[in-house]
Order: sequence, then structure tokens, then C-alpha cells
Amino acid sequence: MTAIDLDGVTKRYGDVVALDDLDLTIDDGEIFGFLGPNGAGKSTTINILLDFVRPTAGSVEVLGMNARTQSQAIRARTGVLPEGFQVYERLTGRQHLQFAFESKGATQDMDALLERVDLLDAADRKAGGYSKGMKQRLTLAMALVGEPELLILDEPTTGLDPRGAREVREIVRQERERGATVFFSSHILEQVQAVCDRVGILREGELVAVDTIDGLREAAGGGSSLSVTVDVATDEAVDAVRSMDGVHEVTVQDSTLSVRCEEGVKTRVITTIEDAGVTVEDFSTEETSLEELFMSYTGEEVQA
Amino acid sequence: MSWAAVAKKDFQDAVRSRALWGLSVVFLLFALVTTYAYVEFPDMLAGGDQSGVGLALYLAGIAGLFVSLAAILVAYRALAGERESGSIKLLLGLPHTRTDVVLGKVIGRSGVLMLPILVAFVLAGVYAALSLDPFGMADYLIFVLMTLVLALAYVCIVVGISGSTGSTSRASALAVGFFLLFELLWDGISIGVVYVANGFSLPATFPDWLFVVNQIPPSSAYSTALFAVIPDAMGSGGAGGIDAFYGTPWLGVVMLAFWIVVPLAIGLRQFNAADL
Repeated sequence: MTAIDLDGVTKRYGDVVALDDLDLTIDDGEIFGFLGPNGAGKSTTINILLDFVRPTAGSVEVLGMNARTQSQAIRARTGVLPEGFQVYERLTGRQHLQFAFESKGATQDMDALLERVDLLDAADRKAGGYSKGMKQRLTLAMALVGEPELLILDEPTTGLDPRGAREVREIVRQERERGATVFFSSHILEQVQAVCDRVGILREGELVAVDTIDGLREAAGGGSSLSVTVDVATDEAVDAVRSMDGVHEVTVQDSTLSVRCEEGVKTRVITTIEDAGVTVEDFSTEETSLEELFMSYTGEEVQA
Repeated sequence: MSWAAVAKKDFQDAVRSRALWGLSVVFLLFALVTTYAYVEFPDMLAGGDQSGVGLALYLAGIAGLFVSLAAILVAYRALAGERESGSIKLLLGLPHTRTDVVLGKVIGRSGVLMLPILVAFVLAGVYAALSLDPFGMADYLIFVLMTLVLALAYVCIVVGISGSTGSTSRASALAVGFFLLFELLWDGISIGVVYVANGFSLPATFPDWLFVVNQIPPSSAYSTALFAVIPDAMGSGGAGGIDAFYGTPWLGVVMLAFWIVVPLAIGLRQFNAADL
């Protein structure tokens, strides 16, 4: 089963192309991370899934239903944490949840839900006085009402401290275990990397990559780099390393070889150098950081 | 039935508006003072013959003014405000259609506006009924009911305006513009229309159709409609003194129906088509 299916979706605002021919399929039961810098089109995509905005072209199906004509039925089975929302300042947290319960015809335990997002103590205060993080958690609770099949969370960790963000990821995992599909957008890679089965990276309205984190790392040009200090960096040794399978790039500076390669060949790189008659004095290894990976796709500075 | 949840939420939210409460207290005082004056000084105000219908027609003036102003206050942000702040995404993230949202808004905000009207007119009515004998309670109750219809019409107008834009400053400008045009300037405009239609001079007698033009403002339509629905007021006015098929106070009822349906339909259409 397919939870979300976008086919050739384009959205233009006047001359501005917010989304350009987007194709994306998300399977039932997976946690999908939707990544990209601010303004890449993540929220536009989500707004189209929820029929908040209408695509200029393309077809959109959510839970097997037409996003445009069957939106109410889709939203009856979906929990939504939208981007750029505001709570009702004059209503209490509990009244917000009450409204979500009535709207969805849900019957679960409201206090347990408030507890789950750590808002039980503040439930009877007006939401206008909540902090940004509390508003975020209140909205997350509203999204969880009625045990939805699909959760659409647009930047759910914005405004949360690291602990709050970790709790959100924990909830996302629990929801997936319950059987829900989770579509989770973020401009911060590490928020997504920790929980997602697959990620899609959006850049200027175009999907530039869809893969698992490991797959992306590999596709981005080798997961690791190895730095080897030798007594003399002979051409023979460098050529031997360059010709190895799994080695992408070798650069030499003075007596240090920097080798970009796949994870599994590091040891063989060392032995190859030694076999060429060169003494290895020291070596260090580092994984390509995910931030570098993200930057390599988006061509932009990663925002913290 | 999804509009019911929206209406309830919206009522809870809008009823907490301080500005509305301030205006309502002023309205309550006006209604009571007016009723007091009507009861205590019959020679000056009632022309000697006090009754429920007399009080009703007397209160209709301030009701029209209050309802139009309060409706703007209560409803101009109904949809535009939710779009501007982004709370519309919270609302529509839940399984409501946009039409449900608009209907829920109309019901919720009407409830909020009807509350002070009922409080003020019930208190005024009880006071008048205890002081006057006979009073004509049925006539008075029909008047109160008709005032609630005016409130509904005005909420439909302002929610319609609010649904046509995503900006509250635009919504308030449009709503205030509506008030200025139809409630303050309309008499001058209708005379101006006659003046132009008559070749830039005022005729000796006004044409019959001026009666129709004069019923366009919602509160005028309401005042006229009172003569159609209050039994003891029938035949005593609201027909414009003209001999045409439209020379009937029912024209006021028709006009109110127009205001309930048309602006809301336009606003709903725009809201349904909008990117939020």
C-alpha cells in the first residue's frame, strides 16, 4: 500500500516556481524524512497534501484518495502538525484538544494524551500564554488524536529544546510501531536522520535525492575519508591506492595521503600502502559528516 | 455535522473578546435607558399610546446601529484572522470541509452577537411588561426574533467579507466601508441617484422605486420588515406610501434574505478557491 503518491506535482505562484514536477511515493508504515533548506518547497508540498493549496499541475493521492476531492476523508485519518500555525490564544490547551476530539469523533483518554506531550499540568491555562515549545507540543497532541493512520509533521521540532526534540522523535517511533506512516519535514538533518527509514531532499522545488541515509551517504561519494601519514609518499604507492576498488579519490599533500573511500576498504588501503614499500607512520579516519552530505545535495549552508 | 464542532470552538473563542463585551454593556445601558424613557415619559416618546409594538419600533433604531457595529467587531476576523495568523491550518488540519468552517463561523459568531441582544432585550422587555398594561408581549417577542434575524444577516455579510481575503486589515476596511456606505451614507446616495436619474435636478415628487433603493441597507430592511411580521404594526407603515406591487413591508424581508444569502455565497466561493 502507498500512503502518499505525488505524481508530476508543480506549484507556481505567479512567476515563482515553488515545486517543479515532483514525483514522490511513500509506503505504508515508513517514517519518511522530508529535508531541505527553508524555502525549498517542503511546506508547499505538505500544504498540497492537505489541500491547503492547490497544485498548478500533477496528481496527488493520500491514503489512496484524491487529495483535492476527498480531502476531508483524508484528514479524518491523518494527524497534522502544520508549519506556521498559531494556536487560539483565548482557548485553553484542553479546549484545543476537546475541539480535535469532537472534530475527529475520537474517544481516547485526553489526560493520557496531555501527559504524553508533557502538557497535563498546563492543560487548563490559556494557550496564548504558552511558550513556543508548549504550543508545538499542544499541536502535536492534536495531531495524535484519533490514532491516525498517517502523521504529517511539518518541522515538528522547531522551537523545542534538545530534550523536547528527542521526545518528539520518541513519539514518532511509537506511532510507527502502532502502525502509522509518518511524513516528517525538517531543515535540520540530524532531526530526521535519527528516526527516518528514508529521506527525500528537496532543493529549490526539486527533489534531488530520495534514499536511506546510508544510501545517500554512498551516493554522495563514499562514506569515509582516511588520512594516512607516511615516511615518503611515493608515486607507486599513490597509484596503487588509486587503482583499488572502492577508492574514490586520493589527494597527496607532503607526506599525507587523503583517501576518500568506502567504509569496508580502509584496512586494505593501509596494507596496499605498506605493500608498496612505504612506512605508515600514522593514520586517522573520519566518516563524511551528514552535514557535508546535506550540503553536497542542497549546495547550502546547513542551518542550526 | 462537522460545522457544529467549529461553531462551538468559535463561540468559545469569540465570546471572550473584550471589545465585544464593552460594546455590549453600552448597548445594554442604551436599551434599558431607552425603555425606561419610553415607559416613564409617554407624552414625549410614545405619543400617548404605549405598547409592545411601540417599544419595539422605538428600540429598532438603536438595535440596527448596535447590530451593524457589533457584527463588524465580532466577525471581521472570522476567516481572514485565522488565515493571517495561521490558525486556519490547525482548523483545517482536522477533518472539516471549508464550507463546514464557514457555516460553523456563521453559527458561532451569530451566537456571540445574539447573546447581548437577548440579554438586553429580555431585560428591557421584562421591565416594560411589568410597567405597562397591556403590553403586547407577542409583538415584542417577534421584534426580538426579527432583531436576531438582522444579527444573522449582518454576521453573514461580515463573514462573507472575511472569507474573501486573507488579510484582516483588508477585511476590516471592507467591513467598515460597507457600514459607511450602507448605514451612514445611503440616504444621501439614494437621493443622489434620484437627482442623477432626473437629469441632475430633484423631482417634485420622488419616484416609487426610491422605496426599493431605500430598503437596501440591512438595518433599513429590518425596520421595514418589522411592519410585515409584527401583527399590531401591519398596515401602519413600511409600505412607502406608494402604489406598486413592491410597495409592501415584505420587501424588507426579501432584502434581509438577500443579505443572508448573497455575500456569504460570494465569500464561501472565494474561500473555497483560496490557497491558504
